[in-house]
Amino acid sequence: METLAYLARRTAQALVVILIVTVVVFCLLHALPGGPARGILGPQATAQQIAAFDHDQGLDRPLPVQYVYYLRTLLHGDLGTSYTLNEAVSQLVGQRLPKTLVLTVLSAVVGLLLAVPLGMWQAVRRNKPADYVITTLSFVAYSTPVYFLGLILVLVFTQELNWFPSQAPQGDTPAQVFADPVALVLPVVTGAASMVAVFSRYMRAATLENLSEDYVRTARAGGSRQGAILFRHVFRNSLTPVIAMLGYYVPVLFGGALVVEQLFNYPGMGLLFWSAAQSSDYPVLLGCVLVISVATVVGTLLADVVQRIVDPRVKAGRA
Amino acid sequence: MSGERERVLEVEDLQVRFATDTGEVPAVCDISLHVHTSETLALVGESGSGKSTVALAAMGLLPGNARASGRVTVDGTQVVGAGEAELARLRGRTASMVFQEPATALDPLTRVGAQIAEVIRNHRPLGRAEAAREAIELLRRVGIPEPEQRARAFPFQLSGGQRQRVVIAMAIANSPGLLIADEPTTALDVTVQAEILDLLRGLAADSGTGVLLVTHNMGVVADFADRVAVMLNGEIVETGPVEEVLLRPRHEYTRKLLAAVPRLVFQGEDPAPRQDAPVVELRDVRVRFGRGPRAVRALDGVSLDVRPGETVGLVGESGSGKSTAARVALGLIPPDSGTVSLFGTDLARSRGRRRRALLSGVGVVLQDPVASLDARMSVAECVAEPLRMHRRGMSAAERRARVAEVLELVRLPKELMARGPRELSGGQRQRVSLARALVLEPRLLVADEPTSALDVSVQRTVLEVIAELQRELGFGCLFVSHDLAVVQQFAHRVVVMRAGCVEEQGPTMSTLLRPRSEYTRRLIAAVPVPDPVVQRRRRAGVTV
Repeated sequence: METLAYLARRTAQALVVILIVTVVVFCLLHALPGGPARGILGPQATAQQIAAFDHDQGLDRPLPVQYVYYLRTLLHGDLGTSYTLNEAVSQLVGQRLPKTLVLTVLSAVVGLLLAVPLGMWQAVRRNKPADYVITTLSFVAYSTPVYFLGLILVLVFTQELNWFPSQAPQGDTPAQVFADPVALVLPVVTGAASMVAVFSRYMRAATLENLSEDYVRTARAGGSRQGAILFRHVFRNSLTPVIAMLGYYVPVLFGGALVVEQLFNYPGMGLLFWSAAQSSDYPVLLGCVLVISVATVVGTLLADVVQRIVDPRVKAGRA
Repeated sequence: MSGERERVLEVEDLQVRFATDTGEVPAVCDISLHVHTSETLALVGESGSGKSTVALAAMGLLPGNARASGRVTVDGTQVVGAGEAELARLRGRTASMVFQEPATALDPLTRVGAQIAEVIRNHRPLGRAEAAREAIELLRRVGIPEPEQRARAFPFQLSGGQRQRVVIAMAIANSPGLLIADEPTTALDVTVQAEILDLLRGLAADSGTGVLLVTHNMGVVADFADRVAVMLNGEIVETGPVEEVLLRPRHEYTRKLLAAVPRLVFQGEDPAPRQDAPVVELRDVRVRFGRGPRAVRALDGVSLDVRPGETVGLVGESGSGKSTAARVALGLIPPDSGTVSLFGTDLARSRGRRRRALLSGVGVVLQDPVASLDARMSVAECVAEPLRMHRRGMSAAERRARVAEVLELVRLPKELMARGPRELSGGQRQRVSLARALVLEPRLLVADEPTSALDVSVQRTVLEVIAELQRELGFGCLFVSHDLAVVQQFAHRVVVMRAGCVEEQGPTMSTLLRPRSEYTRRLIAAVPVPDPVVQRRRRAGVTV
């Protein structure tokens, strides 16, 4: 019951945040010079043609009116129609989102599965050669731009070694994508690299902090061995701050997808956003931003809920 | 002492050094001691004397930068130089430990029953269910009510005393021959301290366990120990039966230490009451923290006042609201209802510059001198800061002169002016706090546990400085303390608080010697006195 009330409260807060996001994005996009008509009709279009387009699309009405209109259609699940692709935005996003989710969720899972043990291992072997090597690699991975890392991976693993194809799976549905797992390796590795770098640092710091806590000394004084202490106590205690960070990492993952999809020619939301940005396709841009912000808000919400489950103190308002 | 009995702990020529950035620091130098079955050896000394290091060395729990040499044998096993696997077999079975801080000693995310069961299963081939049942039995033995439910609780759901009971349950889970207790009651209220000491004493007597009790509290020693070893700078300077050491100390240092311990006295006269108008007056103050059903009534109709030149001791257990009351007097917490007047002016009605001027008449000294001084400022800057805020017209030369003057008042040598707070000892730091509080010549000094983080000998000098300056400067002092003996020595009047209410208040001696409320009586009875003979009589229920 208490948890339900909490969820309701948090969802209401999340809706407010999403509303604010739509306002901000709407204003930003309309502040851009040129406007969509010029982008779609091209430099040769006459003023009359532009005025006709604007009238057609409702772009000659005052901004607040346009916004309210936009919101109203939004509530009906209608994200508008793409200016350039002549398709409903909801349909475009609906097709692409699952593929992007496959990519980002896989990257996140692979990233975490590597980062958490790596960070713990580093903490245990603190200031020894292994720790220094992994720390250096983490900083390299973190400071390398995603597209550059992707290019190097393509160069090494497709051109030189010929282990993996240079294109991501081209199927339209997640099932088709999974049918070609070898082709998924490079995109997922590219997407996971910075995640491994960042989260192994978090995990290392959290583990180190926990290893110096009094309760570790108590467990040792009770005859528990190092391995048992690490996995029974330190692991869970170190994981809670990492979980909290995960929610905030959702937009970073989507940002990474933008580049990865472009690089490996994977037609997901990233590619859609990319081409829409280039042709001032407002409805598509707004649709994508909305989906990403919803994903972020849902991600943080999920992270908070998981934290309430893992750490009973959060629920009691003590932490 | 009978040499026949088995020695559960034997320490011979133990040396411990810590490797630091500035070279090796010796912590323990060639000490030898032993603990028999069914006896308690108290290891006493001030902070930095090395007593906790000895305790950790006996468990093989020294930190990584420590180098130990010599012999430490626990029930026949040599601990110094033993491997982790061998130590793990020993810890929790042959020797166990109870730590100082129950708030952090337990894993916050694991249910307490599971933490006890873990210790059981570390050493005995029991199934999960069996271990869980035994954990509940242990909780019952250490006096936790409704152990079946409590075993499923997380540490944050228990009080400090209950958490310490859980740590003790873990320590006795496998009936160890040796129990090492490192300041087991220092973080607890006196009444809880008395309960925990009773529990430890009972458990040790039942099972014939030898106890190494590490403490700085002479009252606890008198209450609990059979023999005493006094440590100073890593060496044992005196050892013997508790009556000998506490009542007829031979070593100069032991005598000094015992003389510095504040003792409850059982007779005395009240000082003459003060008639001047109060410098601070709280009238029917209520403070609530939080909203809704979880709101806590921190203060519930509290009235008290402090007059010029007098010290009012504010005592009570943790959570009684004494620090909140002090903060209300400082204007840091606005009361939900009731009035606070400072120097005859209602604090709620003054704003802006007037309020600042009013508050500049209040000096404050807090418990932790490390945390309450800015580590990046020099001593002189720390003391000068209030002058910069409230005496804007003062020239730099005047300011320097005033800082030097105040530092002299609190008996700090001028050479320390340029140092940072971290380069000072605890007592010196607290005197810097005091100088800072006095630099504006306050009419009221609020001191919240000003000596609780200090050793007794240092505590005494700091308290003496405050008392002397009060006679000289005539400020009123609101003195928050959990230590009834200190309050008895230091305060003219005393206010006893409990659960946000004033339980009783009056002149110090009559209130503490002839308390009207049952609560105050219990509070006083729980304070152990550093005299084993008297303490034994008090425990037996004979009123002194």
